[in-house]
Parts: sequence; C-alpha cells; structure tokens
Amino acid sequence: MTNIYQPFKVKIKKIEKHSDNVKLFRLVREKGKFLKNKQGLIFNPGQFVLAGIFGYGEAPFGPASSPYNDSYLDIVVRRVGTLTEAFHRAKEGDGIFLRGPYGNGFPMDFIEGKDLVLVTGGCGIPPIAAAIEYIIANREKFGRVYLIYGAKTPQDILIKDRLKKWEKDIKVLLTVDEPDKNWQGPVGMVTELIDEIEINAPNAAAAMCGPGPMMDALEKILRPLGISDRRVFVNLERKMHCGVGHCQHCVSGDKYVCQDGPVFNFDEIDKNWD
Amino acid sequence: MSLIIEKNQIKGWLAGLKKNFIIIETKKMVLPAKQYFFPPKEDIFIFNKISGKLSVPEKREKLLLVCSHLGELEAMTQLDEIMKTPRPDWYYWQKRDQSVLVGIVDQSVEAASGGDLILEKINKEQYRALILTAQGKKLIKKDFFKEIEKPKIKKYLPESKPLKELLLDPELLSEAVAWSWQTKHKIWDELGKKCLGCGICTYVCPICHCFSIEDRVDLDGEKCVRCRQWDACTLPRFAQVAGGHNFHKSIKERYYNWFYHKFVRAYKEYGRTQCVACGQCARYCPAGISIEKVLLEIVGDYKKK
Repeated sequence: MTNIYQPFKVKIKKIEKHSDNVKLFRLVREKGKFLKNKQGLIFNPGQFVLAGIFGYGEAPFGPASSPYNDSYLDIVVRRVGTLTEAFHRAKEGDGIFLRGPYGNGFPMDFIEGKDLVLVTGGCGIPPIAAAIEYIIANREKFGRVYLIYGAKTPQDILIKDRLKKWEKDIKVLLTVDEPDKNWQGPVGMVTELIDEIEINAPNAAAAMCGPGPMMDALEKILRPLGISDRRVFVNLERKMHCGVGHCQHCVSGDKYVCQDGPVFNFDEIDKNWD
Repeated sequence: MSLIIEKNQIKGWLAGLKKNFIIIETKKMVLPAKQYFFPPKEDIFIFNKISGKLSVPEKREKLLLVCSHLGELEAMTQLDEIMKTPRPDWYYWQKRDQSVLVGIVDQSVEAASGGDLILEKINKEQYRALILTAQGKKLIKKDFFKEIEKPKIKKYLPESKPLKELLLDPELLSEAVAWSWQTKHKIWDELGKKCLGCGICTYVCPICHCFSIEDRVDLDGEKCVRCRQWDACTLPRFAQVAGGHNFHKSIKERYYNWFYHKFVRAYKEYGRTQCVACGQCARYCPAGISIEKVLLEIVGDYKKK
C-alpha cells in the first residue's frame, strides 16, 4: 500500500516577482524530470498540485507552465496566509515538497475542434496559462481562441511576458477594474468585450478559473455570446487538506473538488445546493 | 451445531488473548472505536530541517476491540469502506489491518453488520459465537468454546428507536433531507440559531471522518511535525481559505452540510446513510439537538407535502 500523503522534494530553481504580492516559483526535481502521463504531459491543464513547506503546511496550486515541459513546473503564489508568506520568504535553491498532480483538469479533448473563450481574473491565470500552452503546442487542433484576463489594476496583471508571446497564436483581451492614467483598454468584465470576439457559438466552449470573474463573465459575455452553460468549464478553488477525497474540506454539494474537479461545467455547479 | 461460551468464561477467554493483542473494551467510552485507527491527533510525517530528512512514524500494535453494540461494528464496516475510497488511507490501514473486532452483545443478532467475531447472548448464562472472518475464527479457543447441538435460545430484542426505523429507508431520508433545504424548511433556521458550532457531535460520531493536516515546529526550529487531526464540518473555519473567503459562512449552512453528507451524499456514494442510530451526538450535544427529532420532523413534513 502506498502512502497517499507522501510528498516528494523539489528545488526552487528561480523566483520571479510578478506584482507587489505575487511571485512565480520555478520548481525542479532533485534528480531527473517530472513524470509524464500517457499523453506526454506532466499534468493536465487545470489539475493542481499540493505544494508545501514543512512547518507551514500544504496548499493547492494550479501549475502555470507548459504541461509538455518536464524539466520544470511553475506555480504562482499570492501572499495571503502563513504558507504563502513562507513561500515569499523562500530563496532560490531552497527545497520544498510537492504532491500530485490531482483532479481532472480541463477537458482538452472535448474542446478540440472548437472555438474557445478563456476567462480569468487576477490570480486565476495559472491553470488557464497551462491550457493556453497546451493549445499553442497543438494549435491546428483548435479553432479561434480568446483570452479575457481581468485584473484589479494594470500592475496586477501577471505573467506579462507570456501574454505578449501568446498574442501570435490567440487573441488576448485585458481588462482592469481600477485603471491608471496610461490604461486604454476596457474597465471591468463589460459586455463591450463581446465586440472583440467572433466565434461560432454552437461549436464553442469556454474555460474559466473563478470565482472572481465567474458570474460576471457568464452573464455579460459567455451567455450573450451563445455558449451553453454545459460548455463552460470552471476551475474551482476550495480549501483542501488531503487532495485525495478523504478530508471533506473541499466538498461542494455532491462533489469533491479535489477528485471530481477542480474543473466542472457550470451546469453541474449550478445544481449543487451550495 | 452451535459454538457456545459460558458467560462467566468470557473474562478468562479475553485474558488469554492478551498474549497476542492489546485488548480494549469500548463500553462507556465517550469517543468511538474510530479513535484507534484514526486518532484525534496523529503525527504523519517528521521532517528534520537541518538534515532535510523526511520520515514516517510507524505504529505497529495489534489491537483487539471489544464492542458491546452492533451499531459500533456496523460503523466500523462503513468507516473501512470510506477509508478505502477512492484510494486506501495509508495511516488508517496501517493500524486497522492488524486489528480484530469482537462484538459481545446482549441482544439477538439478526444480521451481523461487521466485526470478525460476535458473541451473541442466547440465555442468561450463555453466548453463541458467530464467526465472520478467518481472523475471528482464530480467536476461538477450545478450552472456552464448546460445540452444543441444541442450546437453549432465548430472543433478546434490541430496543426500538424511531431513528432506527427511519434508517431502514435511506432513499426516503435522502429525499426528505434534500427537499427540506430546497423548500427552505424552517427547521434549518431554528438549528442555525440553536447549534453552537462546537463540533462535538462529529467527534463522538462513530463514522464522521473529517480531518485537517497541520504542521507544528519544535521550539528549537529543527524538527517539524505534520499532524493529522480530527476536524468538524460544523466548525466556523472548516471551509475558509487563506485570504478569508469562507465557502460555508453560517452555522445553518455548515449544519446542513453535515446532514447533507450523512443522509444525502452518503446515500448517493455508498447506498446508505452514514448513521447507525447510536445516539452519541444527541447525548453529548451541549445545545440539546437530537438528530432523531430533526429527522422525524423533516420526514413527517415531507410525507405530508
């Protein structure tokens, strides 16, 4: 019997500061590379890992790097609590621990051949970023792809370097809630964003990482575009301790976010009592 | 043929088993049998910050649990299944695999719902052995058990409780509980006000199995221990994430979530409710909530609708 709680050691190879309270951590294995699954991925876009520092605990993070790249795995950490505070104090070369990947991930096979609208806000970008890397690696298999990324202020937009790179392959639409003097784009998750999007609605899907922009985007953008709730895939965040369907913290109605999710179609979420 | 042990021989038989097992009688204990396999607090990893070495504490004790109610055995059967799903919980099974469960019950057994061996009262002086597993069979010692062709058998009926009756129809229970929330039954507002959110009901429940994993560090800063401990879904911060967002803000939501798990989700997952009508939760609830009364009210109103 294997110990399902046993983490493995990884090293922080590189730390990038992305905003006042957000850092990206590039993690590498002590020896060798991350294991690939049958599809040649080290995780499915939308899956999560539990990253931990002994003395401070573990928490779930959706990797942000390309799932095809087995030499490193990036996680993006916003400083909000004890563990993330410890992450922000860590230095390059420090060792931390990982478990996973866990959960289902976005249904990339289902999305193939369709137009896709990706929506996320603030710190919800990592799993969406991994999905975009997957799409770009298989660009001919997907239709038109749009990313709507909302942040509080222009300074809170993360992974800016990659957003620029992606523009060659997908359409990137940025929006902020509190613009500064130089901001010329839209403000908030506004209906006007629809004007920038051209999709074939009956053959389109959407992927989101919530909860921030979820309801707004659904009502103002995705439903008006004609995308059915069943084709809106949402990556949920919940409190998690075990990650393997035992501890009960992440349960939402009938679903274990860690096992049945973290990705659900909106229709499923809507039917849950909570 | 029946395998019979005299009542006054049971003590001696158990004493003989002490060579191979640590014997624990659960009678009159506040915390249920789960505590021996899924302890209230358990160190699951020890990490040395200086050497970077990660180790797993191992505990190997052979326990023999003596339970006096069939409900306790049934609860353990359920917990075993839960701790196997979706993947076996390593820490639970490290201890559980080495243990033996014995029921010594003062009632007639109609259906054995768990355990390795049950001694069933058949008259004032004698108990009949019901062997349920190979491990249970190994506990039968010839010096104490005799084969008797036609022992004197009296029926000892278990006390009847309305809750036990309700549990016989888990489908109805699950429908009624889900219906009560959808229709905003007044009982949830009443319970939201009454429940203190202390979590005691879940600690004394023989099936409840929520836990949290937390780290602690020795004062010298060298040794870190990752500890798994009982949690309760009724506690205020159970579904609160770093940054403060709480997915179950009110007591009402948390209390319903507890019921939803036991009576609705468990039925969907395992085909039965996660309750054995032991009454421990009502006995120890400081607010005097009885889930039996709650369920009777909900089911009563559901039938009237």
